[in-house]
Amino acid sequence: MTTAEGVMGFQGIAINVWLIWMLPFIGAALMPALRRNKPNLLNYTAVGFSLASAILAATLIPLALTDSEVHSQINWISALNLDAGILADPLAIIMTNVVAWISFLIFVYSVGYLHGERDLTRYWFFMLFFIGSMQLIVLSDNLLMLFFGWEGVGLASYALIGFWYYDKKKDYVGRERHMALGIPMWASPTHAGMKAFLMTKAGDIMMLAGMFLIFIYAGTFGFKELVADQSWAIEMSSQNLLVPAAILLFGGAVGKSAQLPLNEWLLEAMTGPTSVSALIHAATMVKAGVFLVGRIGPLFFALAAFDMAQFFEVIAWVGAITAFLLATQALVNPEIKKVLAYSTGSQIGYMMMALGIAGLSTQFVDGYTAGFFQLISHALFKASLFMGAGALLHAVGSRFLTDMGGVRKHMKKTYIFMLLAGLSLAGAPLVTSGFWSKDSIFAATLESGYTYAIPLFAIAVIVAIMTAFYTFRMLGMAFFGDPSKHLKEMDAKGHHVHEVSKVMWVPFGILAGATIAIGLIGIPFEEELHNVFAAYLDTSFGIPEEGSTQGEVMTGQQGPGGDESEEEREVEGRFEINYAAVAASVIAFGVGGGLGYLFYIARKLNPEIISKSIVTRAIWKFLYNRWYLNSILYWGTVIIPMLIYRIIWRYFESTIIDGINPAFQFSMSSFSKIVKAGQTGITQTYLFVFGVGIMILVMLLLI
Amino acid sequence: MVDILSTPILVTTILAAVGLGIPVLDALRKERGANNNKIYSMIAFGALVLSIGIVIFRVLSGEVLPAVAFGNEVLSDDMFGSFFAVAFLIVSIVVAASSWTYMKGRANPAAYYSLLLLSSIGMVLIGYSTDLVMLLVAWELMSIPTYALAAFAKRDPISNEAAIKYFMFGALSSAILVFAIGLVYGITGSTNIGVAVTTFATLGPELVPVGLLTIGLFIAGFGFKMGLVPFHMWLPDTYEGSPTTISALLAAGTKKAGFAAAIRVVILGMFALNTDWTLTLAILAVFTMTLGNLAAIMQKSVTRMLAYSSIAQAGYMLIGMALAPYSQEALTGTLFQIFNHAVMKSTAFIAAACVAVVLASYSLEKYRGLGRRMPITAICLSISLLALAGIPPLNGFWSKLVLFGAAIDSGPLVEWGPYLAIAGVLNSALSLAYYVWIMRKMYMEESPDMSRVKEPRAMVAVLIFGAVFMVGFGIWHAPILEFASEAVPNLAETMTIISTNSTEVSSGSGTGVNEVPGVFPPLSSSFMLEQAEGTHTN
Repeated sequence: MTTAEGVMGFQGIAINVWLIWMLPFIGAALMPALRRNKPNLLNYTAVGFSLASAILAATLIPLALTDSEVHSQINWISALNLDAGILADPLAIIMTNVVAWISFLIFVYSVGYLHGERDLTRYWFFMLFFIGSMQLIVLSDNLLMLFFGWEGVGLASYALIGFWYYDKKKDYVGRERHMALGIPMWASPTHAGMKAFLMTKAGDIMMLAGMFLIFIYAGTFGFKELVADQSWAIEMSSQNLLVPAAILLFGGAVGKSAQLPLNEWLLEAMTGPTSVSALIHAATMVKAGVFLVGRIGPLFFALAAFDMAQFFEVIAWVGAITAFLLATQALVNPEIKKVLAYSTGSQIGYMMMALGIAGLSTQFVDGYTAGFFQLISHALFKASLFMGAGALLHAVGSRFLTDMGGVRKHMKKTYIFMLLAGLSLAGAPLVTSGFWSKDSIFAATLESGYTYAIPLFAIAVIVAIMTAFYTFRMLGMAFFGDPSKHLKEMDAKGHHVHEVSKVMWVPFGILAGATIAIGLIGIPFEEELHNVFAAYLDTSFGIPEEGSTQGEVMTGQQGPGGDESEEEREVEGRFEINYAAVAASVIAFGVGGGLGYLFYIARKLNPEIISKSIVTRAIWKFLYNRWYLNSILYWGTVIIPMLIYRIIWRYFESTIIDGINPAFQFSMSSFSKIVKAGQTGITQTYLFVFGVGIMILVMLLLI
Repeated sequence: MVDILSTPILVTTILAAVGLGIPVLDALRKERGANNNKIYSMIAFGALVLSIGIVIFRVLSGEVLPAVAFGNEVLSDDMFGSFFAVAFLIVSIVVAASSWTYMKGRANPAAYYSLLLLSSIGMVLIGYSTDLVMLLVAWELMSIPTYALAAFAKRDPISNEAAIKYFMFGALSSAILVFAIGLVYGITGSTNIGVAVTTFATLGPELVPVGLLTIGLFIAGFGFKMGLVPFHMWLPDTYEGSPTTISALLAAGTKKAGFAAAIRVVILGMFALNTDWTLTLAILAVFTMTLGNLAAIMQKSVTRMLAYSSIAQAGYMLIGMALAPYSQEALTGTLFQIFNHAVMKSTAFIAAACVAVVLASYSLEKYRGLGRRMPITAICLSISLLALAGIPPLNGFWSKLVLFGAAIDSGPLVEWGPYLAIAGVLNSALSLAYYVWIMRKMYMEESPDMSRVKEPRAMVAVLIFGAVFMVGFGIWHAPILEFASEAVPNLAETMTIISTNSTEVSSGSGTGVNEVPGVFPPLSSSFMLEQAEGTHTN
């Protein structure tokens, strides 16, 4: 490693890293102190703090490119031998920049989106608190601080999903009176916030268990320390605890990234302001799970002596199934933000799959790069799409796609930018970042040499087809065709649909431009990313770019890149395009996009045809009711436990516990009265007690 | 001679000059308006900040000696003294700043601030003293101004009663201390603590009871300030009746001075005596904390509740002193707790003072709905109460953790050690009963008048400082813990000094030698478990 500076001691740049996550917290603490009735003061302060943090993040980029790292620690809890520290290695630097710059743009956007909002203090407090926590996750050098950030983003997410806690009907998600298996499928902001909080907590508990399991054996939470001394892994694996602990940690990622079976919260999370959805529930927080896997994945992979294949298999399959599940549901949803939410979960499934594949293949770096390329590219286009959707909501005044239609004539800029970002999501060939990132996942899957690579690949392609389809469906329903009844009514009342203000369209315009720009330089960009990660994995974890570390995986899988010779360990040498994968991506886009075009843009076919056949109707209903997973979840984890709780409360708590409590209370207050009685207020008594006290004391000493 | 540029001398000079200068300034000034209070408050505040700056600067620049148990001079410029100086000066600063509001419109501000500064000198010097006479002088310098301060509301009978009770006990305990010092001089022929302790180790069997009597008298004399049961009776009355800012000074400042003196004299002195005195302190500790907490539960006045709470806290601190011979960590815990308690308790008292200024009442009933009426005061008070109860991640949690942890780890050496931790934990749970009760009143009940009232700015600033301190050093407690562990004299070394010196003395005089207590294990600053186990197997 070309570590420019020493690992310990003072480093100028380390201050930057500390400040990246501390500045937003300072800004958050400042918020309540500012005048509430000066919205501009609040706006500028918040945007200023996020910009400062982003600029500091940018100063680290050169380090990532030269494969350096900053690691600084201070003594924290000496009794447990815990250090607080930050670790800015290439992985963290890439992630911190994605988070910082996207959040800065979304902050700018928020200024327009929340114009006239009366609770700006609360909004900015939690937004800044969120960025601080997120950056803490990214830059922490140990699992414990990462967990603090993890809980911080959870808290911010909860508070912002329920931001409009007065629960007005317009802020709900879901169609009213839509029931499935007796469970309402629409939710108020407060309910949605609670649901998100509790569901992600389920994952967090697993993560906590995994963390402490490792801590018991390793005596440290530090990533560096865990890599440096691997004796803990030997002990854990002898107890058969290594894979379970890893999977428990992954449980946290499942919750935070809305993967199966903890995926249901993300859809209701759309009750928050759209800027929140864009930042937290699309571009950054939900990526925390992916980041966590990116942090611990190489660590477990580097434990070469143990068979961690099961762990990576779980990741890959959870990702693939989630991608499929949520893509199918996105096909039929009528709400623009929920389509995007399903799509987010589905795309994160891709990332997880890629990271899982990484661990199952000979070339760890391929899948790893693919996963993070997808993460970056998705963060750009999904944030852009969400902000565009927010602009649409603003203009149209309804969250339903069926209330839109033909808007492109009135909102040219929003239309163009959403189209560009949408093409990236759909994976339009050659010019979009989404195409290249998806392609890299396909390629990594094909080349992995994993036994079940072909089924995974098939799922990935089917998901890609569906992605293209629902993207075109969404764009088509919103921007093409005739104006809906709702829009005509609005028009009649004199509310014309018009373009949103500059402060709103510029941010998502920039992101849409960025996704195309990265698409245009897709191959060099991916190559650079590949090189950075290859060098990072080699130096930090000792995972060389070639050569098998897992015995059972066969090497020499055919494919253009497979038969490179051993001496070409050079970072440059490995990267090549897999033409099979490219072909699959192009075909997927063609099929899905073509169908979407015919149905919703050209309107050559009428989507009503599905209601004609009983089979298609049944499928539609099954998907529309979210595979009934939400209902099952409510019955299993809310309604039945509540019934049991009522029984316990009635027959145990209110009889036995409440029977004992008063006795305890009474005895304590009696003791207290006795003691109080001694305090007479008469000085003579006091002096007497003092004197007796001395005598007793001396006698005690003399005994 | 003590170096002129040493910390105690510098601080004394500054504070004495300013403290005596304020009344002179007052005499020269013609104006008699409310401005006087502000000016003197600012001057006092400035002098105290300058002093604390000097102390911290000298600590950081490494010019201060490592903590020493004994010194040849009357004052020793060491870490132990610096640690207490910082804690005391923080309290004085808090009191001076909040008096800006509290003393508004009250008579004789010049005398008030002058007395405050003089008392601060006394507190600071106690920490640095290595000679019993010096210690006594500092003790009186600290105490006498506070008698006057406690009675500062001179037309208020409660304040007068508070001061009279305080003064009577103060006089009694001073007399006891003088008597004890006399005995020490009589036995050992010196008032230097080091010499006295070394000589104590070689006492003939016929003199040991006298030695123990001396120790007992010292405990009683200092215990009066520390608020140990049964020397605590004056304390609730005084803390409740005094002006609340002065209660803060008494509870957070002078009480800790008692601990500083006790650690300097009693603990070190006891090392020399080969008797099982630790159990006595442990019993005192348990009694003190339990009685304080029990009495606090049913109080109707918040200041009185806080007074009992500080009795209970003294019990926790005594745990570490009782275990001092078995674990360096325990004494570190005591110092750590003392430092944290200085901030927690002064914040709580200033919050009560803030309520008293605005609502003119200490009654718990008046605290109903305070969460909405005085939001900043209420939140800062809540933080300090939770910190006092030892809720993580606030600073009070960490000091209790270190204390109780040391108590548990002392198990292999002393069988009742872990029981102290159990008593402490149970008492912490008990104490929540009244801490949370106050919070419940503030946040979950409503008063007939729920109008928002204006919170005085100077006090709010102090409260926010306290809250930030408690949260900040709760999240990152390492600096203070490190400071505390630096401030504890290395006890193993101390033992060696005592034993070598006493051997010289004994070989010279030829009298019978008391063996140095064998219970003392090799020490380190880390948790004692390994060493403790090692000793156990030996």
